[in-house]
Amino acid sequence: MKWVKRIAIVFAVLLIVPAVALLIMGHRKNAGVAQVAAEINAPPDQVWTWIDDGDKLKQWVSWMVEVKYPDPQKTIGVGASRVLVMKDANNGGMLMQIVSKYSEYAPPSRMTVVVSDTQGLFTGGETYLLTDLGNGRTRLEVRGHFHYSQWFANFMEPLITPQAEKKMAMDMAHLKRLAETQAESR
Amino acid sequence: MKPPGWAQLVLWAVAGENEAEFVMGDLHEEFLLLCADRGRSAGSRWYVRQVFRSAATLLGLRFRSGEAAHLLAAALVAVAMPLLLLDRLWSFVYSHIPLKDGLDRAPGFWAANVVCVCACAALCGSLAHSLPRAAGVALAAAVGAACALWCSTATAPVFYAGLAILAGPASSMAVFAWRRSR
Repeated sequence: MKWVKRIAIVFAVLLIVPAVALLIMGHRKNAGVAQVAAEINAPPDQVWTWIDDGDKLKQWVSWMVEVKYPDPQKTIGVGASRVLVMKDANNGGMLMQIVSKYSEYAPPSRMTVVVSDTQGLFTGGETYLLTDLGNGRTRLEVRGHFHYSQWFANFMEPLITPQAEKKMAMDMAHLKRLAETQAESR
Repeated sequence: MKPPGWAQLVLWAVAGENEAEFVMGDLHEEFLLLCADRGRSAGSRWYVRQVFRSAATLLGLRFRSGEAAHLLAAALVAVAMPLLLLDRLWSFVYSHIPLKDGLDRAPGFWAANVVCVCACAALCGSLAHSLPRAAGVALAAAVGAACALWCSTATAPVFYAGLAILAGPASSMAVFAWRRSR
């Protein structure tokens, strides 16, 4: 009986401690916020094309397979939207569609998009801020904030957001390489 | 003179309580004769060879007696199931990354899996009442962890896979030994 009690205590600790930690961390100030920044050796107008052009977007955002434009007449600018088709390897390779609608569009310095997936799993926004550092260099900051509609996803947010940030950093490193290679070749 | 301890442990693990004592007794007699005749290292080599030669047959016997089936079921429930559940949980986490991600996992997630394997295998080890059973549980924990790794959707690094397979039996045996010493 003593051993059963001990085992029960160990398992309770193993389950309760992480659950409480997740609950507390879910209430932190920057919950759901992922941000990354990089200094790129390319001028802002060149970097801008990498975040604005759908075909170029596919080259540096991993797992993105297609960018569709619901309204071919209006593909850029405030009010325009594009659909990002992502391959979700963790969901049996299913294709997920994310609607990205411009809410702020000021090339080549600032872009804000409102994003939500068509399955209603999350809503949020992403802001791309480009600062001209002179000498053909640009500082690119990406700030994303997301809210998950399912209660369990919301509960797991303290684990999801750091991974989202890590993925953004990886994509950003990829973008930096591509933009710098292009700038060098010009 | 004693045969290699780890080979005895493997024998206990595959033969089970019912068979291990008889098989070990027979092997030990031969081992002593060989040691006297050709030296200890030749005796040990022979002992290890015999253990691995008879492992499949002994496991078959154990399956037929139903004992291995219980152990395998215990390993599946106690080690493989939690690992698979964790794998699904991490897939859920990665699937909810807004711009999606691949099948690699952060080191923290692998560490959580290893802690889970250790805790579950330790639980099984604490419930074993004899060394043969504890050795069987340890082997079953390793098999359970290997099965879970095989079925996992994530791409597991070799270091993690090795650790998950070895940590389970180690913690199971450690808890059994600690409990017996008290």
